[in-house]
Amino acid sequence: MAEKDMEIMNDRDMNLDEDVIGDRPRRYQRRRPRQVVPDYLDWKDVDLLRQFVPERGKIMPRRISGIPAKDQRRLAKAIKRARSMAMLPFVAD
Amino acid sequence: MANRTYEVMYIVNPETSGDKIEKLNDAVGKLIKKEGGEVVRMDDIGLRNLAYPIQKKTEGHYVLFEIEGSGQEIAELERRMRVNDMIMRYITVRVDEDRKKADKVRAKREARQVKRASFRNAPTAESTEAPAEA
Repeated sequence: MAEKDMEIMNDRDMNLDEDVIGDRPRRYQRRRPRQVVPDYLDWKDVDLLRQFVPERGKIMPRRISGIPAKDQRRLAKAIKRARSMAMLPFVAD
Repeated sequence: MANRTYEVMYIVNPETSGDKIEKLNDAVGKLIKKEGGEVVRMDDIGLRNLAYPIQKKTEGHYVLFEIEGSGQEIAELERRMRVNDMIMRYITVRVDEDRKKADKVRAKREARQVKRASFRNAPTAESTEAPAEA
């Protein structure tokens, strides 16, 4: 099991070595491998949600956060709820 | 009707006095009981900075309720909150379904782990096969 995990991570790393397209390196950060999102995502847990909201206040895209699509949808909903209760900013400058 | 669980959170104007807020919370609790719901948890979170100004205020008094009921009391509660000018913002979230889903996912994962563990520990004869699989 542990070995399997390692293999998957290595695979991802290999893909990431292709960060350079043409002669310009891509600007965004590398994909973080295997982010874990809790089973029950609490929209009130601001500290957790903040990990997925960079300074600008935008929701971190999946290509950067590296979380599964299902989790990203749940996360986006939680962030939006927190935003509407002024616990997270819509825009921060 | 099947019981549902809701989280109701509202932000009270920070300029209202403490006992007024307490009275408001009591009134909310009473209203829920009257409409046939049950207050599971009541949490007066208190003053917090807002992420953006609401009604030109930069702070707000947060209150959280967890309610079990049919949904009728929520309708009435929302109606009242809408017209109450002490309440600057409110939100109602139904949580029972998401919690159930989370429990299911967790149970599934644990079952899988148990299965894996038993697989790895029990058959020593197949241990030669294991590396190929990994």
